[in-house]
Amino acid sequence: MATTTATITLASADLLSDSLSLSSTTTLYDAGTTTGLTQYETGRVVVPSSDTNSILIDATAAGNDKAARVYVANKNTDEAHYIVISMNGTTIGRLYSGDWMFIPWSQTDDSADVEVYCPAALSTTCIVEYAVFHQGKTFSAA
Amino acid sequence: MATTTATITLSSDVADNSFSVSNTATLSKAGSTSGLDKTSGLRRRTLASTDSVDLIQLDHFQETGEVITENKAAKVYIKNIGTSTAEHVKVCIGQEDANADTEEIGHLYGGDWMFFPWAAVWTSADHNNNEDIYVIPSSADSVTLEWMVIYE
Repeated sequence: MATTTATITLASADLLSDSLSLSSTTTLYDAGTTTGLTQYETGRVVVPSSDTNSILIDATAAGNDKAARVYVANKNTDEAHYIVISMNGTTIGRLYSGDWMFIPWSQTDDSADVEVYCPAALSTTCIVEYAVFHQGKTFSAA
Repeated sequence: MATTTATITLSSDVADNSFSVSNTATLSKAGSTSGLDKTSGLRRRTLASTDSVDLIQLDHFQETGEVITENKAAKVYIKNIGTSTAEHVKVCIGQEDANADTEEIGHLYGGDWMFFPWAAVWTSADHNNNEDIYVIPSSADSVTLEWMVIYE
């Protein structure tokens, strides 16, 4: 059986009066089971400068309400550069240069895409790396 | 200035060649190299019904003077500390009212965690149109979530 794990470590010596040290590991399973996810896709893309959302990861019917996990990272290095992450038009938040996110993704319907834009006001493009582990997707006809 | 790091390690043997990602982010204020310096602290909440719960409520921060500045670099960590791989907690963003403009992000099963940027858009003091984070358990069995916001 395939085994995929995701570990987060949050650490700070001075955010609180005492040190923060938190670590958690999860194993990525098919929905409601202990069977490991067996499909994934990864990519590295240059997002053009625009205030319009573009689809980074396309939601499809075969993935609706299944288990999926999404990783996205902003690989720019200028601290002023950020990307805006949305889902189905609802803004989740901004990933600044060097930031990453990791979320479960239930693809409630075909419109629940993971969307991104690199604001026009920045006058730059944004390099984005991503990975999605999932249970399945609907293939488009050629 | 606080220095907080968030590191993710992803590893998989799904394919013939193993897949591995390791990435560390230093959590900074928007457009700055200064570190995020405010936090909710790590909190824990136990739920025991299938009712939706406004887990991270922007009004709470507003009312206590600990305003989360919207559209900045806030980050949210949530973990389902349960062990059930059959039951989950649905995590959504937007208004708690199911008929309102909301978006379901995904399901956290026992042991699952998530870490994401949060726009934290606050519109009014009665939750209307606020981008709260709310959760809906899939069963009435007791489930405990831990969560933390790091913000400016």
